[in-house]
Amino acid sequence: MPQESPVNDARIASWIERFGGYRREVGQPEIEAWLRQFRDNRDVGARLLDATEFLTRNDLEVAFREVLGRLPGWSAKETERSGRWFFVSFSASAGESGDSMVHVFRVANQLTHRRFNANFVYKSDLPSLRPGGEDTVIFIDDLSGTGDQAIRAWEENLQELLPERPRVILVVAVAGWKAVERIQERTELELWAHQRLEREDDLFGPECQHFSSTEKEAVLALCRRASRAMPKGYGDCGWLLVFQHRCPNNSVAVLHSSSSRFTGLFPRD
Amino acid sequence: MTAIDGSPLAPAQVGVKRLPTDSLHPNPYNPRRLFDKEPFETLKASIAKVGILVPLTVYWEAARENYVILDGQRRWMCAKQLGLLEVPANQVGEPTLVQNIVTMFQIHKLREDWELMPTALTLGVLMGELKETRVKALATLTGLDQAVVVRCRKLLSYPKRYQDMMLDPDPAKRVKADFFIELYAVISDRNVRRLHWFQRNQFTQQMLGKYSAKGIRAVTDFRVVKQHINNAVKAGQVREIGRRLKQFAEAPKLGVEHLQIPLAGQRAEVRSLLMVIEKLRAHLEVLSVEKVYGEEQLWGELEKLMKLISSKIREADRRIR
Repeated sequence: MPQESPVNDARIASWIERFGGYRREVGQPEIEAWLRQFRDNRDVGARLLDATEFLTRNDLEVAFREVLGRLPGWSAKETERSGRWFFVSFSASAGESGDSMVHVFRVANQLTHRRFNANFVYKSDLPSLRPGGEDTVIFIDDLSGTGDQAIRAWEENLQELLPERPRVILVVAVAGWKAVERIQERTELELWAHQRLEREDDLFGPECQHFSSTEKEAVLALCRRASRAMPKGYGDCGWLLVFQHRCPNNSVAVLHSSSSRFTGLFPRD
Repeated sequence: MTAIDGSPLAPAQVGVKRLPTDSLHPNPYNPRRLFDKEPFETLKASIAKVGILVPLTVYWEAARENYVILDGQRRWMCAKQLGLLEVPANQVGEPTLVQNIVTMFQIHKLREDWELMPTALTLGVLMGELKETRVKALATLTGLDQAVVVRCRKLLSYPKRYQDMMLDPDPAKRVKADFFIELYAVISDRNVRRLHWFQRNQFTQQMLGKYSAKGIRAVTDFRVVKQHINNAVKAGQVREIGRRLKQFAEAPKLGVEHLQIPLAGQRAEVRSLLMVIEKLRAHLEVLSVEKVYGEEQLWGELEKLMKLISSKIREADRRIR
């Protein structure tokens, strides 16, 4: 277990350097105010920040480049590709992560030239494009935590949009182990992730050795103050993960949720 | 054959081939992905007892070399769950894309709680293949209600990025088809389209913004918007409603009441009242007193009406001539 170290200016400066690019201001006043809420467990709060993984846009580009690079059948040269390839935003709401992820994906893989425009399509284009057994449809998103959304989407409309059964892939930067198992079990989607979060990445799980059980209890009590409904994050994932563009709701509540009794450091709104 | 299939309650199959259950595949164009649990369980219990009485309809798909179910997917799913090794099936020729889509529409009637956008997109494929856009023809072809075809066509009139919003994997973020269907009446209004500042896509985007900011509380608010526009047009207040509609579009939290032009609303009310009065007068003019002499309730209501009219006329400082 890591030793206690003081929360001094240098340590705060290192957090500001890491988290400063978050969509909402994360500066010294915000960090100090957040830590004050931990009262006697200020050190635990500080160690939560140390352990938090912060993925920048650049990190996502690296992730998307790596994943597409190892997808069998893909080539930037059309003549070397097997079948037709279509890239689609998994989440469609304007401004949502899936929507902007397509742009990051395109830039990362140097697919911004207009000759690739026909490869980047809307979900609602799919029925008329009729991708078949030889073709590949890639849905792009930043994260799949529990697989709930992917499974629901598969059951509710993806199958209907893709009646000719092409190869369907969900590419994400990060996937939780629950998502990997459940998507494989319940859909025909292939999940390709750059990084997989395992059981030991669940802060509250027995496999996590970074915090003692007493410290976990203290954090959980604060998480309950932040969010009574999902203190451990959506799907009880218990993650310490923040994307520069938004903190996922699978992360522990003290990171992103706010109530009258606690204010998260990485608000999602 | 399993013990269930051999049940003495099941009649012998004549002229129907038996196919291995695992050799069949669901139809890719079947819009029914999810089945209600209760009727499904009832069907399963029935099949467990007497076997499959109505053979499935299948075709041989040459490209993938497998059998595809044209009709009977629920029976097939029950058979799989019950562990039946074979199912009875009538084989028909491989349908074309159009035949397949049409058959699926005909067999699987649309349920109200289904999301409409995927259906609209499949209908769009059919419209493209057949070069057929007439509502009545499409309704006849698919077995869909004409109103449903009209709704689908409205959805298909929106740009793809808006269509995708109806397909969002997160139900909380998914924009309901009803939003776009109700909005359609406003953005396709002739007087609105003529407004110099109006751009359909920008206005749609603004309305989505208002919906999330609660400036529009329910999709039915668009009916109120349309009514205010109609009232204003009838009252000759097109410029004023255009000005108010622009302000309404640009301010996310501004409610529909902003569109109510008092004079326009009043005139609409007067017009509506005049129509009722004219109707009532026409009835009274031809009323035969002899025939309704004993209708106490009618006379009672007429007396009440007369008193009310008199009091309103007096209130308006007018003399009864």
